[in-house]
Amino acid sequence: MSSAKEARKLLASRAIERVVVLGANGTMGYGSAALFTQAVPHVTFLARTKDKADEGLAAAIAQVRSPTVASRAETGDYERDLEAAVGRADLVFEALTEDFAIKKDMFDRVEKARRDDSIVATVTSGLSIDALCEGRGDSFRRNFLGLHFFNPPNVITGTELIAGRDTDPAVVDFVEAFSRLRLGREIVRTADTPAFAGNRVGFKVLNEAAQLAERLGPVLVDRLVGPYTGRALTPLATIDLVGWDIHRAIVDNVFENTNDEAHATLELPASMARLMAKGVLGDKSGGGFFKRDGKARLALDLAKGDYVPVGDVKLPDLGYIDDVAALYAQGRYAEGIQVFLEAEGDEAEIARKVIAGYVSYAFHRAGEVTETITGIDLIMGAGFNWAPPSVLVDTMGPESAVRLIEGAGLPVPEAISKAAASGEPRRFFEHPVINVGKYFVAG
Amino acid sequence: MATPEVYVLGGYQTDFARNWTKEKKHFSALMRESVLGGLAACNIDPEEVQSAHVGNFAAELYCMQGHLGAFFTEVHPAFSGLPTSRHEAACASGSIALLAASSEIEAGRYDLQAVVGIEQMKTVSASEGGAFLGTAAWYAEEADGIEFPFPKLFGRLGDEYDKRYGLKDEHLAEISKVNYANAKLNPNAQTRTWYMNKEHALCRTDDNPAVGGRIRIADCSQVTDGAVTVFLASRAFAEKYARRQGIDLSEIPRIKGWGHNTARLRFSDKVLESRDDRFVLPHVRSTITSAMKRAGIGDVNGIDGIETHDCFTTSEYMAIDHFGITEPGESWKAVEEGWLEIDGKHPINPSGGLIGAGHPVGATGVRQLLDGYLQVTGRAGDYQVEGARNFQTLNIGGSGTTSCSFIIGV
Repeated sequence: MSSAKEARKLLASRAIERVVVLGANGTMGYGSAALFTQAVPHVTFLARTKDKADEGLAAAIAQVRSPTVASRAETGDYERDLEAAVGRADLVFEALTEDFAIKKDMFDRVEKARRDDSIVATVTSGLSIDALCEGRGDSFRRNFLGLHFFNPPNVITGTELIAGRDTDPAVVDFVEAFSRLRLGREIVRTADTPAFAGNRVGFKVLNEAAQLAERLGPVLVDRLVGPYTGRALTPLATIDLVGWDIHRAIVDNVFENTNDEAHATLELPASMARLMAKGVLGDKSGGGFFKRDGKARLALDLAKGDYVPVGDVKLPDLGYIDDVAALYAQGRYAEGIQVFLEAEGDEAEIARKVIAGYVSYAFHRAGEVTETITGIDLIMGAGFNWAPPSVLVDTMGPESAVRLIEGAGLPVPEAISKAAASGEPRRFFEHPVINVGKYFVAG
Repeated sequence: MATPEVYVLGGYQTDFARNWTKEKKHFSALMRESVLGGLAACNIDPEEVQSAHVGNFAAELYCMQGHLGAFFTEVHPAFSGLPTSRHEAACASGSIALLAASSEIEAGRYDLQAVVGIEQMKTVSASEGGAFLGTAAWYAEEADGIEFPFPKLFGRLGDEYDKRYGLKDEHLAEISKVNYANAKLNPNAQTRTWYMNKEHALCRTDDNPAVGGRIRIADCSQVTDGAVTVFLASRAFAEKYARRQGIDLSEIPRIKGWGHNTARLRFSDKVLESRDDRFVLPHVRSTITSAMKRAGIGDVNGIDGIETHDCFTTSEYMAIDHFGITEPGESWKAVEEGWLEIDGKHPINPSGGLIGAGHPVGATGVRQLLDGYLQVTGRAGDYQVEGARNFQTLNIGGSGTTSCSFIIGV
C-alpha cells in the first residue's frame, strides 16, 4: 500500500470526470453508480433500455437516500447511447450479469468505442480477468482490471482489485489510489484466481454451512456458526440475502476450477439444487433457508421443502454459547473463545470444525489468492464483516489454533504451527487501526 | 521555575461506526477495548499505569451507570487499587479529564496517567438522547420541553453571525462536505461510508431535513458510541520510554499549551456579554489564544492543523475566525479559498471532526488530542497533514460554555 502522500500524488496524475456504468439497472450496477456520484461529476447509467437505466437511477437514489445522485447522473440505453458515452468516459465500469459470453459481447463494443487512455473495470465476482480480455488489443488489455465491490457497495468498503497479466501497473496503482481516497474503499489486491480471495474463502464456509443444514436443519446451523463465532450475520441468512443463484454461481465456479484440500466442502448441496429448480432463491424469491410470514420467522425443512416456525424447532442444550456471549458482552473475547474451544458435546464439535475449516482454508490460500494472509484477513473483515482468520488465531493463541484444527482432522497451516512452536509472529494481524473486538458479537 | 513537561505517548480509538448496543455489549466492554488497545498500541505494561482519569458526560442517563472511574479497575487486575476519577463538563468532559491528568503530572504526583474519554449513546432513541444532551444547557431554561435543543442553540449561533456579519448556508454546506470527505480517509470515522456531496449538504428537502432553525441534518455531528484512551507521562517516564522504544525524547510529542474557560450557561447571556466584542464567543477566543501563549506560538500561522469542535457547522464556522484564520465575521473567506482542506493553508478536522468522525460526547476531547498526536508523529494515514509539527484542539461543552484547547507538538 502506498503512503497517503504517494496516493495523493497518483490521484492528481489523472482525472476521472466521467464514468459510464454498464448494467446500471442491476444491484451491483446502480450501487456502484451511486458510489461514483460521490466523487465524479458525470456518471452515465446505461442499460438495455432507457427505462431500465432510469429504474437503476431511482434505485441508486433510494439506496443512498440522496436525490442529489440525479444531479450528477445521465441515463441511456446501449443501442443509442453506448458509443458516445463510452467514447467520452475516463472510466468504463461493467456490471452486467455474471455471464462470460454477455460480458465478452459488451467488451467488443466497448473496445471499439473507448478512448485509448480510458480505464475499463469489471465488477465480476469471480470470472477470470485474463480470460475476459483475451484476444483484445494492447490498449484494452493494459487498461483493463477487476474492481470487485461487495453488495451493497455504499455500506461495505472491502473491495478487491485484480490486475490481469497485461494490466499496466500504473493503472492499477491509480485505481487503488482513486478507490481508496475518493471512494473510501478498503482495497485488497488479489490474484486472478477463481472467485478471487473473499468469495473463495467466504463461500467455502457458507457452503459448508449449507451442507450441514441438510443434516441438522437451518436453525441449529445458524446458531452453531452464529455471531459468537465472529460474524454479525449468520451464514444461512447470508446465503438468503446474497441469493441462492449467486451462491451457486460462485461455488460452482470454484468447485469446477480448483482442486484444493477442501474440495468437497465446495459442492452445492443437492437439496439446494432441487429447491432452486422450484424457484427458491432466498430473500429475493420470498424465502430461502428462512422466510418471514408476517411477524413470524419460518425455517426451511430441506428434505420436505416446507417451512416451520423457528420457535418450534427443538434445539439441543447450547448453553455454552450463552456463556461465550456473556464474556463477549464485557469485552472478554479471549476468555469467551476459550469457552467455545473447551465446550463439550457434538454440536460444539461441529461448530469448531467449521471455524477450524475457515482458518485452515484461509491460511492455505495465502500466497495463492493474495500475497500473504493479511490480504485475506482484510477482505474477510471489510468485505464479509467476519472475524479475519488471523484475528481468531491471535485471540485464541496459536497453540489453541493448532489443537482446534488438529481436533477437526484438518491440515494445520505451517505458519500457525511455526507460531505455536516458536512464538513468532506474536500476532498475525498487526493493524494499527482496525478494532478486532467488533467481530466478536455477543449473541 | 518552568512548568514540568507533559508528554503524550499515544493511545487508541475505538471505531466510531460501531454500535455497541447492536453488538450486545456493555459499557465496560467499550472501556476495556479502548484501554487494552491503548496499552498494546503504546507498548505500555498495565503495571506501569499509576492513575486514571475518565471523561464522560452522561452514562447515568444513557447507561444507568455512574462511578465510571471505578470501571477502570475492571479492565486489568493490575489496575485494582489505582487512584481513579471521573470528570464531567458536557461535551468537553474528555478535555477536562486531560487537564486533570496533566496537572497531576505537572504537580509531580504521578509519572504515567491513563486518560479515557468514553460515551455510549446508541442505547436510546434519537429524541430521548436529544433530551439528555439538553442537560448540557441550562435545562429548565433552554431545553425543557424542546425537541433537539442543541441544534436550535447552535442554529442561533448561526443567526448571531448572520445578524452581525452576514452568513450564507452554502458556506456551512461546504464545511459539512469537507468534514465528510475527510472522514472517508479515516478508518475509524463513523460516517466513512455515508453518502455526502456538496449538493446533498445544500439540499433543502426531506432528505436533509431541518432540525433547528438553519441547522439541517447534514450540519450536525453524530450520535456515537466510542471510547479513546491516551497516555500522558512525565519527563522522567518519557525518557525511560524513549530509551526502550529506541527513539529520541524529542520525537515524543508534548502538550505545549492549554486553555480553559467557562462562560455563562445560557446562550442568550453569552451573546449579550459579547455584543460589543469583535468575537461572538470571546471566552472561546481566550481559550485558543491562552493555549497559543503558553505554547509560545504567536498566532495560527504557527499551527499546522486544527481538530475543532464542529458539533454543528456553525460551531466550526465560529472556530475559523476565533482561531484567527480570518478576521472576525470573515470565516467564509477561508471556506471559499479551500484553506480548511487537508492540503490547505489551515487544515481543520482532517479526521472528519465531530460531523464526520463522530461525537461520543465524553470521548471527543481525548479523540482530538489523539488525532493531534497521530498528526505530529506522522501516523495519521490517509488523513495525514504533511509535515505537521504542531496541532491545536478546541473542545466545547454546551453552547460555547466550557472551552478547552490543547496544543500538541514535537
